[in-house]
Amino acid sequence: MTRFLRIACIALWLAGLAMPMACSNQPYLSEDEMQGRALFEDNCAPCHQGAHPELRKQPPKLEGLFQSKSLPSGAPATDAQVRKTIIEGRGTMPAFDQRLSKEHVDDLVKYLHRLK
Amino acid sequence: MTGSKLKVVLAMVIVLMFGLVVVGCKNENKPSNLQRQALEKHENKRYNLRGQVVAKNVAANQITVNHDDIPGFMAAMTMPYKVKDPATLQEVKPGDKIAAEVVVVNDGSDYWLEDVRITESSGRKSAGAVPAVHRLNVGERVPSLPLVNQDGRTIHLDDFKGKAVLVTFIYTRCPLPNFCPRLSSQFAKIHDDLAKSPDDYGKTHLLTITFDPKYDTAPVLRKYGLAYLDDDPAGFGYWDFAFTTPVDLRKLADAFGLMYFEQDNQISHTMNIVLIAPDGTVAKYWSQDWTTLELEDALRRQAGTAAAAAPARASRGRTP
Repeated sequence: MTRFLRIACIALWLAGLAMPMACSNQPYLSEDEMQGRALFEDNCAPCHQGAHPELRKQPPKLEGLFQSKSLPSGAPATDAQVRKTIIEGRGTMPAFDQRLSKEHVDDLVKYLHRLK
Repeated sequence: MTGSKLKVVLAMVIVLMFGLVVVGCKNENKPSNLQRQALEKHENKRYNLRGQVVAKNVAANQITVNHDDIPGFMAAMTMPYKVKDPATLQEVKPGDKIAAEVVVVNDGSDYWLEDVRITESSGRKSAGAVPAVHRLNVGERVPSLPLVNQDGRTIHLDDFKGKAVLVTFIYTRCPLPNFCPRLSSQFAKIHDDLAKSPDDYGKTHLLTITFDPKYDTAPVLRKYGLAYLDDDPAGFGYWDFAFTTPVDLRKLADAFGLMYFEQDNQISHTMNIVLIAPDGTVAKYWSQDWTTLELEDALRRQAGTAAAAAPARASRGRTP
């Protein structure tokens, strides 16, 4: 009986471990980040994902943007700098001024933090 | 509780726990309401269209329709649509009244007609009776309306007489790589290539006109242009970026057969490149597929420098 209890305890412990591991391929996103992801796919992904031989300058990939010290432009990788780039544009990147609200830009920046 | 009963209960608890792992993960993979909304956002949107066929272009797999209001998509207007089923083009003819579904890719990068049904056949009499915007024919003189360029200077299409001019329309906040950024990238390549020959450079000119005169003021156009000119303002001597009044923009767009409308702070528009001959008349249009090399060749041919430039071009590959 004691042996059975020991096995049962180990099995339960393993089940507890398996739960987060089995689900880890679906990282949790907050509601704001979910909105940010939808905005990213509508507004950023068309240029920043995939190859664009039709474009004069290749838009940089944005995965790991906030994991680097600096942005592709060389500016510091801060929320304020990323917001400024989104709103004003930079180089051949169009400005999103008057097209995205402040809340939209906030959500987008939150999602960019999660983009790895 | 006896030992064997306890064993059964514990076994059931273990099975239940593993079950929970599986069920828990399955639920995680099922989209939540918010996720479902986000997914639906990326599906194609469909709208009902009713209108009258103004023109058809079999080569471009396209019909131009003068349609009623399409709630949620656009106001009543005349504009070209690709059709999904090429057989449709064999059936419809100008003057036919049709009903169809407009399918719009969620990011707005593409749209077309599906399920086109003729609700009232035009017969021979009414064909061509539909009033349509008159696009200038090749050989017709272009209007010399006032434009304001990136330096705030007023210019006219007449100012470029004696040169072959390639004109296109964009707006600087266009976020779709296959539309305005592609056009400007191609013009930038043409600028680079023709700048290699003083003869080509002196006899040709590029002009980009914005669809968005409210936002694209001279300083905005200057910043936009510099991004495509590698920050060298000397390039503006060859390539002007200009805006005009909304009224004159409509006149110019009509003259060159362009359709555009504003929706949700974005401008949906057709793409068109116009080549103006040195005598100020329309020499050629491109509204579907073109390559940078084709545009360069046509520009040189109009400028009369094509023969001299041919050997230099031979070594270059085709560009997008």
